Amino acid sequence: MRSFEYGDGEIDSKEMMFAISSMVIGAGVLTLPRLVADATESSDGWVSILIAGALAILLAWVGAKLASRFPKMNFFTYTGLIATKPVAMILTWIVFGYFLVFSAYITRGISLIAKQYLFDETPVEVIALTFMLIIIYAVAGSRVSLLRLNLLFFPIVLAFIILLLSFSAGLIELDNLKPIFVTNWSGIMKGARETIFSLLGFEIAMFYIFYMNRPQKAPKAVVIGMLLPVVLYVFVYLIVISVFSVEATIQVMFPTIELAKEIELPGEFFERLESLFFVIWIMTIFNTGSMAFDICIMQVNSIFKNTKKTTCIWVLSPLIYVVAMIPQDMIEFAILGEYLSYAGLVVAGVMPCSLFITAMIRGVKGHG
Amino acid sequence: MLTDNLQSIQQLLDSPSDLLTRTFKVGSTHHLCGIVCIKGLVDKNLLNDQLLKNLLLNLPPDNRQMPKSPEDMVSLLLAEILTIASVEKVSTMDEVMLAVLDGNTALFVDGTDQVIIISSKGWESRAIEEPQSEALIRGPRDGFTEDIRTNIARIRRRLRDPNLRLYAMRIGQRGKRDVVVAYIEGVTNPDIVKEVKRRLETVDMDDVEGSGFIEEWIADSFLSPFPQSLSTERPDRVSPSLLQGKVAILVDGDPFCLVTPITLVTSFQSPEDYSSNWIVSSLTRTLRLIAAFIATFLPALYIALVEYHHGMIPSKLAFSIAGTREGVPFPAVIEALIMEATLEILREAGIRLPKPIGQTIGIVGGLVIGEAAVAAGIVSPIMVIIVSLTAITSFALPTYTFAMTLRVIRFGVMMAAAFFGLYGVILVYIMINIHIVNLKSFGIPYSTPFAPNFPRDWKDVILRAPITMLDQRPQMMQTDDENRQTNE
Repeated sequence: MRSFEYGDGEIDSKEMMFAISSMVIGAGVLTLPRLVADATESSDGWVSILIAGALAILLAWVGAKLASRFPKMNFFTYTGLIATKPVAMILTWIVFGYFLVFSAYITRGISLIAKQYLFDETPVEVIALTFMLIIIYAVAGSRVSLLRLNLLFFPIVLAFIILLLSFSAGLIELDNLKPIFVTNWSGIMKGARETIFSLLGFEIAMFYIFYMNRPQKAPKAVVIGMLLPVVLYVFVYLIVISVFSVEATIQVMFPTIELAKEIELPGEFFERLESLFFVIWIMTIFNTGSMAFDICIMQVNSIFKNTKKTTCIWVLSPLIYVVAMIPQDMIEFAILGEYLSYAGLVVAGVMPCSLFITAMIRGVKGHG
Repeated sequence: MLTDNLQSIQQLLDSPSDLLTRTFKVGSTHHLCGIVCIKGLVDKNLLNDQLLKNLLLNLPPDNRQMPKSPEDMVSLLLAEILTIASVEKVSTMDEVMLAVLDGNTALFVDGTDQVIIISSKGWESRAIEEPQSEALIRGPRDGFTEDIRTNIARIRRRLRDPNLRLYAMRIGQRGKRDVVVAYIEGVTNPDIVKEVKRRLETVDMDDVEGSGFIEEWIADSFLSPFPQSLSTERPDRVSPSLLQGKVAILVDGDPFCLVTPITLVTSFQSPEDYSSNWIVSSLTRTLRLIAAFIATFLPALYIALVEYHHGMIPSKLAFSIAGTREGVPFPAVIEALIMEATLEILREAGIRLPKPIGQTIGIVGGLVIGEAAVAAGIVSPIMVIIVSLTAITSFALPTYTFAMTLRVIRFGVMMAAAFFGLYGVILVYIMINIHIVNLKSFGIPYSTPFAPNFPRDWKDVILRAPITMLDQRPQMMQTDDENRQTNE
């Protein structure tokens, strides 16, 4: 405890845990109930969520294990050790592209939802631009500070979601959950596939473990960080289904926000809680977007070692903005999301697994 | 030669009217002596009774032989004659000049280059009063004054720890102010002390006008609106901070003492928290947090709700707001800006108004701006309520500088709300948070102990645990001695 440990740009496992949770929840919680309800029958989706959750936790663990095997090495360096430099180069560019689109997707998504729930006239372009500016401000600061923001925002968002769920207790109709166990396996698996898309985001562990002061603690932190969203998803799903029934859930774009709409606060302090929920939720989606952008910059920096962070930001942010503006409507936006999800499976699933197995077989290990 | 020395001092200072020089022969001997001092800065009684009387009447002692050489004379004076506690020997003109201008008296003896400096500081100064800017119900009544010696004594009076260190330095090429860095050795992290001293040494200016000057100079980020040191008039706020492992900086001529490093939560804490019941203190601190939130965001929320999201206001309230706003010619933003600007002007004017006409501002402000503006249909009554609430809540904060910061931010949030409604408000909120996690005060992140997270320190942040449970110093300060209790 002699030196100013926390001033030096290192994070501990708590920061890691919150970063994972907030990255995962940021992207998925709004649409998840609809996606799962679409694939499964009645309330059986929770089985899908649990299956997908288990798989996601496993993948997250593999990714964390992989990165913590090489303490104080960034992604480019350790993939270079495992699978030669050219492969590392290709993988790093894939990661770069994925997170660039991810960040753009988030930016566009937030503008679309903001337009739906908060504004009538303000154009999407302007909303996206302001959001982009905030993200730029965040990534322009220090990287550790960016991760620490999770500690400030995520508890608020979590508290709000829990509050939301508990207030909707009065609206629950258990009949909507019956009958149980009627979905066949293919339906369950389809639901699980949809869920795993919503659970993407844990792949950031592979990149941020570099900044941990005790990387060996990372796998545990990542697993705990993943458990929280999985449990939360099960609750959100069950409550949404029990409040709206499956048929209605499929019809709404963002069932979780609609849930907030149904709630009436005691004392009638606020009406249209969904706008407030969305506003609070911006905090976590901001975390998601800024971390994605940050990892983008990290990849560029790992390849071009001498580029300044500000130069990266200047070059990349217009790029992200343009990508965010490419989809013309909701349908194209959804298609972009789908492609992104498949890319995510590669980056979060295929890549760490194959790298991990190769590293095990070849016995490559970082020192320290 | 004595006369040369005296003359050169007079020349250097251009013989000002407040310079006192006098030559005299000591006792019945041939030794010629001279004293130099500045009239307003010295204690006349001390000069007359302790110095001149002794020199002129009590020499030579006990009918002994007077020493022949001037050096022996100086030694004799120092050893046996001068009945003044603090004396020292110097031999350069610069030292003499600084000492004289500081309020000391220089005693020259003819024929030697040694000069005796007699500590004779004694000037008119303000008595210790109750601090104006940080009043308390329960707690000590004494505050700092402009005199640094008194201020140091006030800290000493509270901390009898022999490890209390007072590192003195002079800052300013011309002003040559006394600045004292106070800390407790063995508690405060030496790195912080070193860093504070290093930054103080970088101050390069003809004079530091006060603690605010130093505060800005040594701050980590001068772009930030947030105070990065706590400035306080209360010694009872300084001594506990020292015990927490912080560093205090006292500046001569300023009743405000700087305490650093601080974090955001420091601004919500008041010394009174420790003199009232812990439940009450915890609730009070929570209340201050809410007050800070209201002071910053309320007008913005009003603008956002009225201009963009009418649907979020409960329908009955929405109707009554719409009813009161009927006839108001401006949109809510303009209305809010007019009223907030008026409030700020009133506040600024209130500071400058002479006390006897202070009431005028109350009448003019309260009646004319409030009542008449509503009656004239320029603003709505709801707006008046909101503006008064922001004014009241900003005074509920125990730190004045922090309340000023919130005032600045409030206008930013209002503009954001005017353009983007609630979305703008949350973006600004996110921005403030980004700024806070990036901001540091002497290496300690401003958002500690939340991010980075030190759960152990939460006992005394927003909640104030019972005194018996506050057995450790804050972990975030990385102190050398973590325990506050003797056992263990």
